[in-house]
Amino acid sequence: MTLPAKAFQRWLQGIAPDASTADVCRVSGIKRTTLAQQLVRGKVAVSTVVSISRAYNINPVAALATFEPYRSLAGPLPSPTRNELVSQISTADLLRAVLARPAMDPAAGGKSPPPLSPAPHATSVKNWVDAIDDGEVRHRVSAATGIAAQNYSAQLTANRLSPELAIATSHAAGVGPTGGLVATGLITEEEAGWPPGARQGALDSLSDGDLTTLAGDRLQALGKVLRRQEQDQAQTEKIWENLG
Amino acid sequence: MIEILQWSTLAICGLIAAARVPSAIRGENRSLFYIFALMTLAILLSIQGPYVAIDRALGGINLANLLLRFVIFAAIYFVGIRVSRGFGAGGALRLITGKAGMVVLLVVSLVMVALFLMMDTTGSSAGLTGVVGTDPWNSALLEYYGAAGRAYPAYITLVLLPAMVRAVPSRLPVLIRIAAGVLALGAVATGLTLTFPLIPPALGALEFIINYTAVLCFVVGLAVIWAARVRSGKRISTHRTYTEK
Repeated sequence: MTLPAKAFQRWLQGIAPDASTADVCRVSGIKRTTLAQQLVRGKVAVSTVVSISRAYNINPVAALATFEPYRSLAGPLPSPTRNELVSQISTADLLRAVLARPAMDPAAGGKSPPPLSPAPHATSVKNWVDAIDDGEVRHRVSAATGIAAQNYSAQLTANRLSPELAIATSHAAGVGPTGGLVATGLITEEEAGWPPGARQGALDSLSDGDLTTLAGDRLQALGKVLRRQEQDQAQTEKIWENLG
Repeated sequence: MIEILQWSTLAICGLIAAARVPSAIRGENRSLFYIFALMTLAILLSIQGPYVAIDRALGGINLANLLLRFVIFAAIYFVGIRVSRGFGAGGALRLITGKAGMVVLLVVSLVMVALFLMMDTTGSSAGLTGVVGTDPWNSALLEYYGAAGRAYPAYITLVLLPAMVRAVPSRLPVLIRIAAGVLALGAVATGLTLTFPLIPPALGALEFIINYTAVLCFVVGLAVIWAARVRSGKRISTHRTYTEK
């Protein structure tokens, strides 16, 4: 869902009273035609607000909280759960962490792996929902928002999730509202108020068994995706071989 | 209106066949070129002007119509093999090239030839319109002859239909899914030709539209798959090899 142009103009007046649209576009790096189109249609993208807030050194979460659909982002936000934090660690980083554990490789001997790459990663959206899912979350999200379960899954598989669905998912799972916005890459961990090193801390607190099992699950999911891609590719090649 | 449909279908099909010549010379899927060439010939033979000219040369007993039927059979047979192989429809391929397919082809062909020989077919006319006159025996024969000619294409395309319908919502490249949809439409149109005896003579134009829709769908569907391959930049490996510097 997008934000109404009227509310957006009011907000923009508040943060940059004297700036013209051209100025706003220049400092925020948004294309003028893009913003003009969004204003004409009366639908301003959430990412537009995020870009402009960053340009004017305003926390995007605080900026979004001034808009009605994102009220829940206001005020003191609960910290992310350990599962959420770990879900935002890429599979490659997880595997490096596994290999650095003495239980896995006694020869590794205390060599700590390189720092974690920043969120989001290639499967961060699906991993995030899996991390907060009690088994009924998808069902509750589709009941609350009216999105078909199939379309919701398709978004997760494509590593996409619209901001309002991300918020709805957080609500449905009873976790803080920023997790999904971080997982979709709309905002950074820092902007979401996650303490620095929170993901590393969560990773370090996982037991050898938990970490290894988690890495195994990730590998299995990755293997499934890769195999499916290979099958699709093989079928396409076959069609071209016969009909191309 | 029908003339425009006929000639434009001929033009589209002929252009695609011509465009396929260079790749046929390179040895890429020659049978696809043959399919397009056969389809072009079939359309040519179903238009009054060219039909009369060719039939006169063959003796003026509408032998060209029988030829047209077998040209269609050949084209549809190759389409069936190529499409079922390409889309990995093993069951469909067996139904086309296996015992069942051969029996259907043989029976339909024999019945068709027998009916043709039993008919009095003097006087060239595309689609045999007006040839049989008012003789009830002859027109009954013509009805069955037409049905036999439509039976084999309908059999092949209905065998292919499930694989096409399955491919539309699949995760294949979008152009291939579009092509599968177009081919499925062609299969449905070909299946509909079986209902021609039920169409009242007043709606005769409907038969033309269904026929040409079917042909156009097959030609366009196959061309779209070809376009998808060209767009992907993949070359088909041919038996020729060359060394690059």
